[in-house]
Amino acid sequence: MAALNGNPYAKKRFLVVDDQPTARDALRTIAQNIGAFAVEFASNYQDALYRIRNNAPDIILCDYMLGEGRSGQQLLEELRRFELLSDESIFMMVTGEQSYEQVVSAVELVPDDYIIKPFSPDKLVLRLDRIVARKAFFADYYREKRKQEYARALELLAQKRDSEAGRPYRFEILRQQAETELASGDAERAEATYRAILGNYEFPWARAGVARSLHKQEKLAEAREEIERVVAGTPNYFDAADLKASICIDQGEADEAQRVLDEVAKRTPRNYLRKRLLAEAATLNGDMDTARAAMADVIANDSMPGAVQPEDRLALARSQVIANELIAAEKTLLTLKESEVQNLTLDLQAGFAALLALAVPERGKARFAGLRPALLAAELSSTARLDVLRTALRLGDHELADHQAELLMEADDAKKTFASTRSLYALHGREVDFRNLQKKVALKRIKH
Amino acid sequence: MQTLLDILASGVHDAKNQLFQAESLLVAAETRHGIDLGEARYAIEAAARRLNRTLTAYRLGRHEQALAIVPTVVGDVCDEVLLAQRPHLAAASKTLVVDCQVFDEWPLDRELLTDILNNAVQNAGRFARSQIRLSAGLEDGGLRLTVDDDGPGYASLPPAGGTGLKLAETLARLHVRHGRHGRLELANHGPLGGARFALWLP
Repeated sequence: MAALNGNPYAKKRFLVVDDQPTARDALRTIAQNIGAFAVEFASNYQDALYRIRNNAPDIILCDYMLGEGRSGQQLLEELRRFELLSDESIFMMVTGEQSYEQVVSAVELVPDDYIIKPFSPDKLVLRLDRIVARKAFFADYYREKRKQEYARALELLAQKRDSEAGRPYRFEILRQQAETELASGDAERAEATYRAILGNYEFPWARAGVARSLHKQEKLAEAREEIERVVAGTPNYFDAADLKASICIDQGEADEAQRVLDEVAKRTPRNYLRKRLLAEAATLNGDMDTARAAMADVIANDSMPGAVQPEDRLALARSQVIANELIAAEKTLLTLKESEVQNLTLDLQAGFAALLALAVPERGKARFAGLRPALLAAELSSTARLDVLRTALRLGDHELADHQAELLMEADDAKKTFASTRSLYALHGREVDFRNLQKKVALKRIKH
Repeated sequence: MQTLLDILASGVHDAKNQLFQAESLLVAAETRHGIDLGEARYAIEAAARRLNRTLTAYRLGRHEQALAIVPTVVGDVCDEVLLAQRPHLAAASKTLVVDCQVFDEWPLDRELLTDILNNAVQNAGRFARSQIRLSAGLEDGGLRLTVDDDGPGYASLPPAGGTGLKLAETLARLHVRHGRHGRLELANHGPLGGARFALWLP
């Protein structure tokens, strides 16, 4: 049949991912029939991640249902998250489910193609040939994108868009263009490109792209309006829910963000990026039980090497400090070795010192005091400033506290931290001082 | 809670997995013995399509299915129908010809549309004397997909509809773009002398 001489698939390494042994055998038979010589198996999600990380295959045939509450879509998302899948390798979802089509038609992160069981070897070859042709068409663009040569990458896309050979790929070209524009920091262009796609058809992923671009431009109300449309129209498009939550957080509506994330996280219990976002929203809401549970889950179960970062440990320690579980917080903070802490960014060092000063005053206060000049001078993220503010208020260091509060209120993301800042001042009986700071910032804004 | 739809969907899912296993066993036998079991594989795929169609019809009837619209190369859909149907028609000494004049991507429900076209070609094959033609073109700002045959034509118009035609009509109507809905048009005395099945999608 398809096993001819010069077969392009003979030298490719295949990986078949399926939890059912009989289905694995069936996929292997089909792969071998189209000429594949090297066909490996993975019987579950973790096994697949391990194999792909150690020796990336050329072609992955992955069943959508992987058992243990895992799906092929999750695997794909995780592979992209850790950049384990090059643009050149092929990821084909195999499914008996019609419902997967609904997923593919909505989301931004899609496999190279999907194929519905049962299918013949000839059909698989037809589909693979098409993907190979498409990847060849985009090859030079992929190279520039990988080098982060965005201007050159966009130039190549423009050439492709106008070429005769590009006609079958015009949506894909626009989609790549919008993503590259976003990656290069040009959110206005990206918005226009997504709108051009919407002018042709109302794809949920393109509408979400508009919302993402508006969010990057800090047009929060407009971004919110767009993403609400997507969430209402495609309730199973969970990334859209994440984006809505991020926008809500920046609008100072952490309670709505948490409500949205709570609901989605229940349905995707193993999405740890979502859990982190949930913890952030819950911390801003003062819901320390939720924040702590979410971060403890992340640290215990986000099992890819390098997945759990120092900021995750700080997030857990933060929820423990605020809940006044100081021994637990100490334990969390001291999982970070001194040498690790020394190599952290100033932002994270500030957070670490501030949290340690509250968890273990006898060890942490001196470190915090040592950083004080830097904390008064340096640019910090709002998360770090809130940590410093919390500790400064507790230590009665008014100058340091008020400095952080002022900068928090002047920052672009002031809405996000406003409620937390106010309640910290209230906690120390300094409501009047807070209002005066607020007035001062408002006056400064008018003068500008 | 398991709804009736969940039970049906999971039954169809399992059956399709088993059909896939059966097809792979036939493929293995073909390789091992150097024989062609294409007609047996065709029957398996036709059974799977029938299961899909039944489930889809049920979902659409209960308004529990939305279309899954993806940018689709129209020529690719035509190629897949050709791949699925030509050997089977050839076995009955009938010819399927594809004439695709659309070169851009079109937003449509790829799997449902492929299924509907497979069904239309399969039906045409039953009545055609020797020829079936699948063509794609642009018309009135939309996409027009046509299946013509050289058989006696529909016995009555509109024909006493089966599930396939009813589904084709619903599928066409559900395709909406710029406020326009798709439609199904059936006619006799087409260019090949027989029945004409035509879908127009916005």
